[in-house]
Amino acid sequence: MSISEDLRRNRAAWTKANERYTDARAPEAWAREEIEWGTYGVPEDELKVIGEVADKDVIELGCGTAYFSAWLARRGARPVGVDITPAQLETARRMQAETGIAFPLVEADAAEVPLPDASFDLALSEYGASIWVDPEKWIREAHRLLRPRGELVFLCNTPLSVMCMPDEGRVEERLLRSQFELGRMEWPGDDEGVEYHLGHGDMLRLLRRTGFEVLGLWELRAPESASDHSFYDFVPADWARRPAEEIWKACKRV
Amino acid sequence: MSDEALRNRAYWDSKSDEYQRRHRAFIGQGEPRWGVWQIPESELQVLGDVARKDVLELGCGAAQWSILLANAGARPVGLDNSERQLEHARKLMSEAGVDFPLVHASAETVPLPDETFDVVFCDHGAFTFADPYRVVPEAARLLRPGGILAFSHLSAIALICQNPENDWNVEPKLHLDYFGMHEVSDGEVVEYQLPYGGWIRLFRANGLTVEDLIEPRPSAAATSTYWNEEGREWARRWPSESIWKARKRV
Repeated sequence: MSISEDLRRNRAAWTKANERYTDARAPEAWAREEIEWGTYGVPEDELKVIGEVADKDVIELGCGTAYFSAWLARRGARPVGVDITPAQLETARRMQAETGIAFPLVEADAAEVPLPDASFDLALSEYGASIWVDPEKWIREAHRLLRPRGELVFLCNTPLSVMCMPDEGRVEERLLRSQFELGRMEWPGDDEGVEYHLGHGDMLRLLRRTGFEVLGLWELRAPESASDHSFYDFVPADWARRPAEEIWKACKRV
Repeated sequence: MSDEALRNRAYWDSKSDEYQRRHRAFIGQGEPRWGVWQIPESELQVLGDVARKDVLELGCGAAQWSILLANAGARPVGLDNSERQLEHARKLMSEAGVDFPLVHASAETVPLPDETFDVVFCDHGAFTFADPYRVVPEAARLLRPGGILAFSHLSAIALICQNPENDWNVEPKLHLDYFGMHEVSDGEVVEYQLPYGGWIRLFRANGLTVEDLIEPRPSAAATSTYWNEEGREWARRWPSESIWKARKRV
Protein backbone atom coordinates (compact mmCIF):
# COMPACT_ATOMS: atom_id res chain seq x y z
CA MET A 1 0.00 0.00 0.00
CA SER A 2 1.42 3.35 -0.96
CA ILE A 3 0.45 6.16 1.36
CA SER A 4 0.71 9.90 1.15
CA GLU A 5 2.97 12.11 3.23
CA ASP A 6 -0.05 13.31 5.20
CA LEU A 7 -1.02 9.75 6.08
CA ARG A 8 2.55 9.01 7.08
CA ARG A 9 2.43 11.97 9.45
CA ASN A 10 -0.90 10.92 10.93
CA ARG A 11 0.31 7.37 11.36
CA ALA A 12 3.39 8.66 13.19
CA ALA A 13 1.26 10.94 15.41
CA TRP A 14 -1.11 8.08 16.33
CA THR A 15 1.71 5.60 16.87
CA LYS A 16 3.05 8.02 19.46
CA ALA A 17 -0.40 8.74 20.94
CA ASN A 18 -0.98 5.00 21.25
CA GLU A 19 2.23 4.62 23.22
CA ARG A 20 1.38 7.55 25.45
CA TYR A 21 -2.35 7.01 25.94
CA THR A 22 -4.67 4.94 23.74
CA ASP A 23 -2.98 1.57 24.31
CA ALA A 24 -3.11 1.86 28.10
CA ARG A 25 -6.67 3.18 27.99
CA ALA A 26 -7.98 0.45 25.67
CA PRO A 27 -9.06 -2.06 28.41
CA GLU A 28 -11.20 0.57 30.13
CA ALA A 29 -12.62 1.84 26.83
CA TRP A 30 -13.47 -1.67 25.62
CA ALA A 31 -15.07 -2.59 28.96
CA ARG A 32 -17.48 0.35 29.00
CA GLU A 33 -21.12 -0.73 28.96
CA GLU A 34 -22.61 2.51 27.71
CA ILE A 35 -21.93 4.05 24.31
CA GLU A 36 -20.61 7.55 24.89
CA TRP A 37 -19.82 10.42 22.55
CA GLY A 38 -16.87 12.74 22.66
CA THR A 39 -14.25 13.86 25.12
CA TYR A 40 -16.82 14.42 27.87
CA GLY A 41 -18.80 11.25 27.35
CA VAL A 42 -22.32 12.32 26.36
CA PRO A 43 -24.39 9.11 26.49
CA GLU A 44 -25.82 7.67 23.28
CA ASP A 45 -28.91 6.77 25.32
CA GLU A 46 -29.51 10.50 25.72
CA LEU A 47 -28.72 11.55 22.14
CA LYS A 48 -30.07 8.50 20.27
CA VAL A 49 -27.92 9.12 17.20
CA ILE A 50 -27.20 5.55 16.16
CA GLY A 51 -30.28 3.72 17.43
CA GLU A 52 -30.62 -0.03 16.95
CA VAL A 53 -27.52 -1.68 15.47
CA ALA A 54 -28.27 -5.39 15.87
CA ASP A 55 -27.56 -7.35 12.67
CA LYS A 56 -26.19 -4.29 10.91
CA ASP A 57 -22.98 -4.33 8.90
CA VAL A 58 -20.92 -1.47 10.25
CA ILE A 59 -17.66 -0.02 8.99
CA GLU A 60 -15.67 2.16 11.36
CA LEU A 61 -13.39 4.47 9.40
CA GLY A 62 -10.39 5.35 11.52
CA CYS A 63 -11.19 2.95 14.36
CA GLY A 64 -7.98 3.44 16.38
CA THR A 65 -8.07 0.80 19.11
CA ALA A 66 -11.60 -0.11 17.93
CA TYR A 67 -13.47 0.34 21.22
CA PHE A 68 -16.44 1.88 19.41
CA SER A 69 -16.70 -1.15 17.12
CA ALA A 70 -16.50 -3.34 20.23
CA TRP A 71 -19.45 -1.45 21.77
CA LEU A 72 -21.46 -2.06 18.61
CA ALA A 73 -20.41 -5.72 18.36
CA ARG A 74 -21.69 -6.22 21.91
CA ARG A 75 -25.06 -4.90 20.71
CA GLY A 76 -25.26 -7.43 17.90
CA ALA A 77 -23.71 -5.43 15.04
CA ARG A 78 -21.14 -6.89 12.63
CA PRO A 79 -18.40 -4.25 12.62
CA VAL A 80 -15.27 -3.96 10.52
CA GLY A 81 -12.57 -1.63 11.83
CA VAL A 82 -10.35 0.27 9.40
CA ASP A 83 -7.30 2.23 10.48
CA ILE A 84 -4.01 3.42 9.05
CA THR A 85 -1.95 2.94 12.22
CA PRO A 86 -0.61 -0.61 12.76
CA ALA A 87 0.19 0.05 16.43
CA GLN A 88 -3.43 0.88 17.23
CA LEU A 89 -4.69 -2.15 15.30
CA GLU A 90 -2.23 -4.24 17.30
CA THR A 91 -3.81 -2.93 20.50
CA ALA A 92 -7.25 -3.67 19.04
CA ARG A 93 -6.22 -7.27 18.26
CA ARG A 94 -4.92 -7.74 21.78
CA MET A 95 -8.22 -6.47 23.17
CA GLN A 96 -10.14 -8.83 20.89
CA ALA A 97 -8.12 -11.75 22.26
CA GLU A 98 -8.65 -10.60 25.85
CA THR A 99 -12.40 -9.95 25.55
CA GLY A 100 -13.37 -12.58 23.00
CA ILE A 101 -15.12 -9.87 20.95
CA ALA A 102 -13.88 -10.55 17.44
CA PHE A 103 -14.42 -8.69 14.19
CA PRO A 104 -12.28 -7.94 11.13
CA LEU A 105 -9.62 -5.23 11.36
CA VAL A 106 -8.24 -3.80 8.14
CA GLU A 107 -5.13 -1.69 7.80
CA ALA A 108 -6.07 0.86 5.18
CA ASP A 109 -6.53 4.52 4.33
CA ALA A 110 -10.18 5.44 4.92
CA ALA A 111 -10.14 7.17 1.54
CA GLU A 112 -9.27 3.89 -0.19
CA VAL A 113 -10.83 0.92 1.58
CA PRO A 114 -10.23 -2.50 -0.01
CA LEU A 115 -13.82 -3.64 0.47
CA PRO A 116 -16.70 -3.95 -2.01
CA ASP A 117 -19.34 -1.34 -2.86
CA ALA A 118 -22.66 -1.24 -1.02
CA SER A 119 -21.71 -3.70 1.70
CA PHE A 120 -22.51 -1.75 4.89
CA ASP A 121 -25.59 -0.39 6.64
CA LEU A 122 -23.69 2.08 8.80
CA ALA A 123 -20.42 3.92 8.25
CA LEU A 124 -19.08 5.41 11.43
CA SER A 125 -16.19 7.64 12.34
CA GLU A 126 -15.59 8.82 15.86
CA TYR A 127 -12.63 11.21 15.53
CA GLY A 128 -11.17 8.99 12.88
CA ALA A 129 -11.39 9.70 9.20
CA SER A 130 -13.82 12.43 10.29
CA ILE A 131 -10.94 14.77 11.09
CA TRP A 132 -7.80 13.02 9.82
CA VAL A 133 -8.70 12.36 6.19
CA ASP A 134 -9.69 14.75 3.41
CA PRO A 135 -13.51 14.88 3.70
CA GLU A 136 -13.92 15.08 -0.07
CA LYS A 137 -12.28 11.66 -0.25
CA TRP A 138 -13.44 9.73 2.80
CA ILE A 139 -17.07 10.84 2.58
CA ARG A 140 -17.16 9.72 -1.05
CA GLU A 141 -15.61 6.41 0.05
CA ALA A 142 -18.20 6.00 2.83
CA HIS A 143 -20.90 6.63 0.24
CA ARG A 144 -19.46 3.90 -1.98
CA LEU A 145 -19.29 1.42 0.89
CA LEU A 146 -22.86 2.02 2.07
CA ARG A 147 -25.97 0.29 0.86
CA PRO A 148 -28.81 2.54 -0.36
CA ARG A 149 -30.43 4.24 2.69
CA GLY A 150 -27.33 3.25 4.67
CA GLU A 151 -26.32 5.75 7.32
CA LEU A 152 -23.19 7.80 7.87
CA VAL A 153 -22.48 8.99 11.42
CA PHE A 154 -19.38 10.91 12.40
CA LEU A 155 -18.02 12.88 15.34
CA CYS A 156 -15.72 15.85 14.81
CA ASN A 157 -14.71 19.14 16.41
CA THR A 158 -17.12 22.03 15.91
CA PRO A 159 -16.00 24.80 13.56
CA LEU A 160 -16.43 27.14 16.54
CA SER A 161 -13.87 25.30 18.67
CA VAL A 162 -11.39 25.09 15.79
CA MET A 163 -11.76 28.80 15.11
CA CYS A 164 -11.07 29.54 18.80
CA MET A 165 -8.03 27.23 18.93
CA PRO A 166 -4.61 28.89 18.98
CA ASP A 167 -1.67 27.25 17.24
CA GLU A 168 -0.45 26.11 20.62
CA GLY A 169 -2.19 25.77 23.97
CA ARG A 170 -5.82 25.61 24.94
CA VAL A 171 -8.94 26.84 23.23
CA GLU A 172 -9.79 30.49 23.91
CA GLU A 173 -12.98 32.48 24.24
CA ARG A 174 -12.33 34.44 21.10
CA LEU A 175 -12.19 33.77 17.39
CA LEU A 176 -8.60 33.33 16.25
CA ARG A 177 -8.79 31.81 12.79
CA SER A 178 -11.12 32.53 9.91
CA GLN A 179 -13.86 30.04 9.02
CA PHE A 180 -13.16 30.77 5.38
CA GLU A 181 -9.65 29.38 5.79
CA LEU A 182 -10.61 26.07 7.38
CA GLY A 183 -9.98 22.88 5.44
CA ARG A 184 -6.61 21.15 5.62
CA MET A 185 -4.81 22.19 8.80
CA GLU A 186 -1.38 21.50 10.19
CA TRP A 187 -0.76 22.14 13.85
CA PRO A 188 2.78 23.04 14.79
CA GLY A 189 4.83 20.53 16.78
CA ASP A 190 6.41 17.18 15.98
CA ASP A 191 3.63 15.03 17.36
CA GLU A 192 0.87 16.58 15.37
CA GLY A 193 -0.82 15.22 12.32
CA VAL A 194 -2.75 16.77 9.47
CA GLU A 195 -6.39 17.55 10.19
CA TYR A 196 -9.39 18.65 8.18
CA HIS A 197 -12.17 20.87 9.49
CA LEU A 198 -15.07 22.43 7.63
CA GLY A 199 -17.69 25.04 8.45
CA HIS A 200 -21.29 23.83 8.71
CA GLY A 201 -22.29 25.13 5.30
CA ASP A 202 -19.34 23.51 3.54
CA MET A 203 -19.92 20.19 5.31
CA LEU A 204 -23.63 20.20 4.57
CA ARG A 205 -22.99 21.00 0.93
CA LEU A 206 -20.32 18.30 0.66
CA LEU A 207 -22.69 15.69 2.09
CA ARG A 208 -25.44 16.69 -0.34
CA ARG A 209 -23.09 16.78 -3.31
CA THR A 210 -21.78 13.31 -2.48
CA GLY A 211 -25.29 11.86 -2.48
CA PHE A 212 -26.29 12.01 1.17
CA GLU A 213 -29.40 13.41 2.80
CA VAL A 214 -28.61 15.17 6.08
CA LEU A 215 -30.57 13.62 8.95
CA GLY A 216 -29.16 15.51 11.90
CA LEU A 217 -26.43 17.49 13.59
CA TRP A 218 -25.92 17.00 17.31
CA GLU A 219 -23.80 19.72 18.89
CA LEU A 220 -22.48 18.25 22.13
CA ARG A 221 -22.48 20.01 25.44
CA ALA A 222 -20.23 18.70 28.22
CA PRO A 223 -22.32 17.46 31.16
CA GLU A 224 -22.30 19.70 34.26
CA SER A 225 -20.38 16.99 36.12
CA ALA A 226 -17.59 16.82 33.50
CA SER A 227 -14.04 17.64 34.54
CA ASP A 228 -11.06 18.33 32.29
CA HIS A 229 -9.75 15.39 30.27
CA SER A 230 -6.33 14.11 31.30
CA PHE A 231 -4.97 13.54 27.79
CA TYR A 232 -7.15 15.48 25.33
CA ASP A 233 -6.67 18.75 27.19
CA PHE A 234 -7.12 21.26 24.34
CA VAL A 235 -10.72 21.99 25.29
CA PRO A 236 -11.37 22.24 29.05
CA ALA A 237 -14.75 21.10 30.37
CA ASP A 238 -15.88 24.69 31.01
CA TRP A 239 -15.37 25.69 27.40
CA ALA A 240 -17.13 22.50 26.30
CA ARG A 241 -20.41 23.87 27.70
CA ARG A 242 -20.23 25.60 24.38
CA PRO A 243 -20.35 23.28 21.40
CA ALA A 244 -16.85 21.83 21.09
CA GLU A 245 -17.79 18.59 19.36
CA GLU A 246 -20.57 17.59 17.03
CA ILE A 247 -22.05 14.55 15.36
CA TRP A 248 -23.36 14.59 11.81
CA LYS A 249 -25.79 11.95 10.61
CA ALA A 250 -26.74 11.44 6.98
CA CYS A 251 -28.14 8.67 4.81
CA LYS A 252 -27.31 7.54 1.32
CA ARG A 253 -29.98 8.84 -1.02
CA VAL A 254 -31.64 6.36 -3.34
CA MET B 1 -50.71 36.89 19.13
CA SER B 2 -47.90 36.26 21.57
CA ASP B 3 -46.53 39.10 23.72
CA GLU B 4 -43.29 38.89 21.75
CA ALA B 5 -45.11 39.22 18.41
CA LEU B 6 -46.99 42.25 19.74
CA ARG B 7 -43.75 43.76 20.97
CA ASN B 8 -42.07 43.22 17.62
CA ARG B 9 -45.09 44.69 15.84
CA ALA B 10 -44.81 47.83 17.96
CA TYR B 11 -41.07 47.93 17.38
CA TRP B 12 -41.36 47.72 13.60
CA ASP B 13 -44.28 50.17 13.46
CA SER B 14 -42.10 52.69 15.27
CA LYS B 15 -38.85 51.95 13.38
CA SER B 16 -40.23 51.45 9.88
CA ASP B 17 -39.88 55.01 8.57
CA GLU B 18 -36.33 55.38 9.80
CA TYR B 19 -35.40 51.91 8.50
CA GLN B 20 -36.81 52.53 5.03
CA ARG B 21 -35.17 55.96 4.82
CA ARG B 22 -31.82 54.58 5.86
CA HIS B 23 -31.69 51.56 3.54
CA ARG B 24 -33.85 52.82 0.63
CA ALA B 25 -31.02 53.27 -1.85
CA PHE B 26 -29.19 50.12 -0.81
CA ILE B 27 -31.85 47.38 -0.97
CA GLY B 28 -34.39 46.36 -3.59
CA GLN B 29 -32.46 47.80 -6.51
CA GLY B 30 -32.17 46.19 -9.94
CA GLU B 31 -32.29 42.48 -9.10
CA PRO B 32 -33.05 40.40 -6.00
CA ARG B 33 -30.13 40.44 -3.60
CA TRP B 34 -29.57 38.76 -0.24
CA GLY B 35 -28.89 40.30 3.09
CA VAL B 36 -26.55 42.73 4.67
CA TRP B 37 -24.08 42.55 1.78
CA GLN B 38 -26.72 42.46 -0.98
CA ILE B 39 -25.24 39.45 -2.74
CA PRO B 40 -27.22 38.81 -5.95
CA GLU B 41 -29.67 35.90 -6.06
CA SER B 42 -28.38 35.34 -9.60
CA GLU B 43 -25.04 34.43 -8.00
CA LEU B 44 -26.34 32.37 -5.07
CA GLN B 45 -29.24 30.68 -6.91
CA VAL B 46 -31.24 29.95 -3.78
CA LEU B 47 -34.76 30.33 -5.16
CA GLY B 48 -34.02 29.50 -8.79
CA ASP B 49 -36.59 30.36 -11.45
CA VAL B 50 -39.67 31.87 -9.81
CA ALA B 51 -41.74 32.48 -12.95
CA ARG B 52 -45.39 31.45 -12.47
CA LYS B 53 -44.65 30.30 -8.94
CA ASP B 54 -46.71 31.15 -5.89
CA VAL B 55 -44.28 32.82 -3.51
CA LEU B 56 -44.89 33.91 0.09
CA GLU B 57 -42.51 36.41 1.68
CA LEU B 58 -42.65 36.10 5.47
CA GLY B 59 -41.67 39.46 6.87
CA CYS B 60 -41.63 41.39 3.60
CA GLY B 61 -41.02 44.85 5.05
CA ALA B 62 -41.56 47.31 2.18
CA ALA B 63 -41.78 44.26 -0.17
CA GLN B 64 -38.60 45.13 -2.09
CA TRP B 65 -37.97 41.42 -2.74
CA SER B 66 -41.53 40.54 -3.72
CA ILE B 67 -41.66 43.47 -6.16
CA LEU B 68 -38.54 42.19 -7.93
CA LEU B 69 -39.89 38.64 -7.93
CA ALA B 70 -43.19 39.89 -9.40
CA ASN B 71 -41.14 41.52 -12.16
CA ALA B 72 -39.50 38.10 -12.72
CA GLY B 73 -42.92 36.53 -13.28
CA ALA B 74 -43.69 35.19 -9.79
CA ARG B 75 -47.08 35.50 -8.07
CA PRO B 76 -45.98 36.86 -4.69
CA VAL B 77 -47.84 37.45 -1.46
CA GLY B 78 -46.14 39.72 1.06
CA LEU B 79 -46.77 39.23 4.76
CA ASP B 80 -45.59 41.51 7.50
CA ASN B 81 -46.37 41.96 11.17
CA SER B 82 -46.07 45.76 10.89
CA GLU B 83 -48.81 47.82 9.27
CA ARG B 84 -46.39 50.72 8.81
CA GLN B 85 -44.03 48.48 6.83
CA LEU B 86 -46.94 47.44 4.62
CA GLU B 87 -47.78 51.10 3.99
CA HIS B 88 -44.25 51.50 2.66
CA ALA B 89 -44.79 48.35 0.59
CA ARG B 90 -47.97 49.77 -1.00
CA LYS B 91 -46.08 52.92 -1.94
CA LEU B 92 -43.15 51.03 -3.54
CA MET B 93 -45.57 48.69 -5.35
CA SER B 94 -47.45 51.58 -6.86
CA GLU B 95 -44.19 53.25 -7.91
CA ALA B 96 -43.08 49.97 -9.52
CA GLY B 97 -46.47 49.49 -11.16
CA VAL B 98 -47.01 46.01 -9.69
CA ASP B 99 -49.80 44.65 -7.56
CA PHE B 100 -50.06 41.59 -5.35
CA PRO B 101 -51.69 40.73 -2.02
CA LEU B 102 -50.24 42.04 1.24
CA VAL B 103 -51.19 40.36 4.51
CA HIS B 104 -50.92 42.03 7.90
CA ALA B 105 -50.19 39.19 10.32
CA SER B 106 -47.56 37.51 12.41
CA ALA B 107 -45.72 34.75 10.56
CA GLU B 108 -46.46 32.58 13.60
CA THR B 109 -50.13 32.42 12.59
CA VAL B 110 -50.60 32.99 8.87
CA PRO B 111 -54.25 33.40 7.76
CA LEU B 112 -53.78 31.49 4.50
CA PRO B 113 -54.72 27.92 3.50
CA ASP B 114 -52.48 24.82 3.57
CA GLU B 115 -50.29 23.89 0.60
CA THR B 116 -50.76 27.03 -1.46
CA PHE B 117 -47.16 28.12 -2.12
CA ASP B 118 -44.22 26.82 -4.15
CA VAL B 119 -41.77 29.05 -2.31
CA VAL B 120 -41.88 30.43 1.24
CA PHE B 121 -38.95 32.71 1.93
CA CYS B 122 -37.59 35.80 3.56
CA ASP B 123 -34.43 37.83 3.64
CA HIS B 124 -33.83 38.80 7.30
CA GLY B 125 -37.55 38.58 8.04
CA ALA B 126 -39.79 36.35 10.09
CA PHE B 127 -37.10 33.78 10.86
CA THR B 128 -35.39 36.51 12.86
CA PHE B 129 -38.39 38.25 14.42
CA ALA B 130 -40.80 35.38 15.03
CA ASP B 131 -40.42 32.15 16.97
CA PRO B 132 -38.88 29.45 14.76
CA TYR B 133 -40.82 26.76 16.63
CA ARG B 134 -43.98 28.43 15.32
CA VAL B 135 -42.79 29.77 11.95
CA VAL B 136 -41.15 26.62 10.58
CA PRO B 137 -44.35 24.54 11.09
CA GLU B 138 -46.35 27.37 9.48
CA ALA B 139 -44.00 27.48 6.48
CA ALA B 140 -44.19 23.69 6.13
CA ARG B 141 -48.00 23.86 6.28
CA LEU B 142 -48.18 26.58 3.63
CA LEU B 143 -45.84 24.86 1.17
CA ARG B 144 -46.95 22.45 -1.52
CA PRO B 145 -45.10 19.12 -1.54
CA GLY B 146 -41.76 19.72 -3.24
CA GLY B 147 -41.91 23.43 -2.41
CA ILE B 148 -38.94 25.40 -1.13
CA LEU B 149 -38.37 27.12 2.19
CA ALA B 150 -35.45 29.57 2.08
CA PHE B 151 -34.43 32.33 4.42
CA SER B 152 -31.47 34.39 5.48
CA HIS B 153 -30.66 35.63 8.94
CA LEU B 154 -27.79 36.77 11.11
CA SER B 155 -25.64 33.67 11.64
CA ALA B 156 -25.70 31.94 15.00
CA ILE B 157 -21.98 32.53 15.33
CA ALA B 158 -22.35 36.26 14.65
CA LEU B 159 -25.19 36.40 17.14
CA ILE B 160 -23.15 34.96 20.00
CA CYS B 161 -20.26 37.30 19.13
CA GLN B 162 -22.44 40.39 19.67
CA ASN B 163 -21.36 42.42 22.66
CA PRO B 164 -24.38 43.71 24.63
CA GLU B 165 -22.02 46.12 26.42
CA ASN B 166 -20.86 47.59 23.11
CA ASP B 167 -24.16 48.44 21.44
CA TRP B 168 -24.51 44.79 20.30
CA ASN B 169 -21.65 45.18 17.84
CA VAL B 170 -20.08 41.97 16.65
CA GLU B 171 -16.59 41.22 18.02
CA PRO B 172 -14.14 38.33 17.59
CA LYS B 173 -15.15 37.16 21.05
CA LEU B 174 -17.73 34.72 22.39
CA HIS B 175 -20.17 36.84 24.41
CA LEU B 176 -23.51 35.03 24.50
CA ASP B 177 -24.43 31.49 25.52
CA TYR B 178 -24.74 29.31 22.40
CA PHE B 179 -26.95 26.67 23.97
CA GLY B 180 -29.04 29.37 25.64
CA MET B 181 -30.11 30.68 22.23
CA HIS B 182 -33.70 30.85 21.17
CA GLU B 183 -35.02 34.25 22.19
CA VAL B 184 -32.48 37.07 22.39
CA SER B 185 -33.71 40.51 23.35
CA ASP B 186 -32.14 43.90 23.94
CA GLY B 187 -35.35 44.89 25.75
CA GLU B 188 -36.82 46.62 22.71
CA VAL B 189 -37.13 43.93 20.07
CA VAL B 190 -37.11 40.14 20.35
CA GLU B 191 -34.91 38.22 17.95
CA TYR B 192 -34.71 34.46 17.53
CA GLN B 193 -31.91 32.09 16.65
CA LEU B 194 -31.19 28.41 17.21
CA PRO B 195 -28.03 26.33 17.17
CA TYR B 196 -27.25 24.98 13.69
CA GLY B 197 -28.26 21.48 14.76
CA GLY B 198 -31.48 22.87 16.23
CA TRP B 199 -32.55 24.26 12.86
CA ILE B 200 -31.83 20.95 11.11
CA ARG B 201 -33.87 19.08 13.74
CA LEU B 202 -36.75 21.54 13.38
CA PHE B 203 -36.80 21.32 9.57
CA ARG B 204 -36.80 17.54 9.60
CA ALA B 205 -39.46 17.34 12.32
CA ASN B 206 -41.70 19.36 9.98
CA GLY B 207 -41.18 17.22 6.90
CA LEU B 208 -38.53 19.42 5.31
CA THR B 209 -35.31 18.06 3.78
CA VAL B 210 -32.29 20.31 4.27
CA GLU B 211 -30.79 21.24 0.92
CA ASP B 212 -28.31 23.99 1.59
CA LEU B 213 -26.69 26.27 4.11
CA ILE B 214 -24.98 29.18 2.42
CA GLU B 215 -22.60 31.25 4.51
CA PRO B 216 -22.02 34.32 2.35
CA ARG B 217 -18.79 36.26 2.52
CA PRO B 218 -18.66 39.92 1.49
CA SER B 219 -16.01 41.07 -0.96
CA ALA B 220 -13.07 43.05 0.40
CA ALA B 221 -14.61 46.26 -0.95
CA ALA B 222 -18.19 45.55 0.10
CA THR B 223 -20.18 48.33 1.72
CA SER B 224 -23.47 48.13 3.54
CA THR B 225 -25.98 50.41 5.20
CA TYR B 226 -26.33 47.72 7.90
CA TRP B 227 -22.74 46.93 8.92
CA ASN B 228 -19.79 49.30 9.22
CA GLU B 229 -16.24 48.64 8.02
CA GLU B 230 -15.26 46.96 11.25
CA GLY B 231 -18.22 44.64 10.77
CA ARG B 232 -17.16 43.94 7.22
CA GLU B 233 -13.71 42.90 8.40
CA TRP B 234 -15.37 40.51 10.87
CA ALA B 235 -17.60 39.19 8.08
CA ARG B 236 -14.57 38.64 5.84
CA ARG B 237 -13.34 36.09 8.39
CA TRP B 238 -16.51 34.56 9.83
CA PRO B 239 -19.99 33.99 8.48
CA SER B 240 -22.10 37.04 9.28
CA GLU B 241 -25.22 35.49 7.79
CA SER B 242 -26.71 32.11 7.05
CA ILE B 243 -29.06 31.27 4.21
CA TRP B 244 -30.93 28.02 4.78
CA LYS B 245 -32.74 26.14 2.06
CA ALA B 246 -35.05 23.20 2.69
CA ARG B 247 -37.67 21.39 0.64
CA LYS B 248 -40.99 19.90 1.68
CA ARG B 249 -40.91 16.17 1.18
CA VAL B 250 -43.21 14.83 -1.52
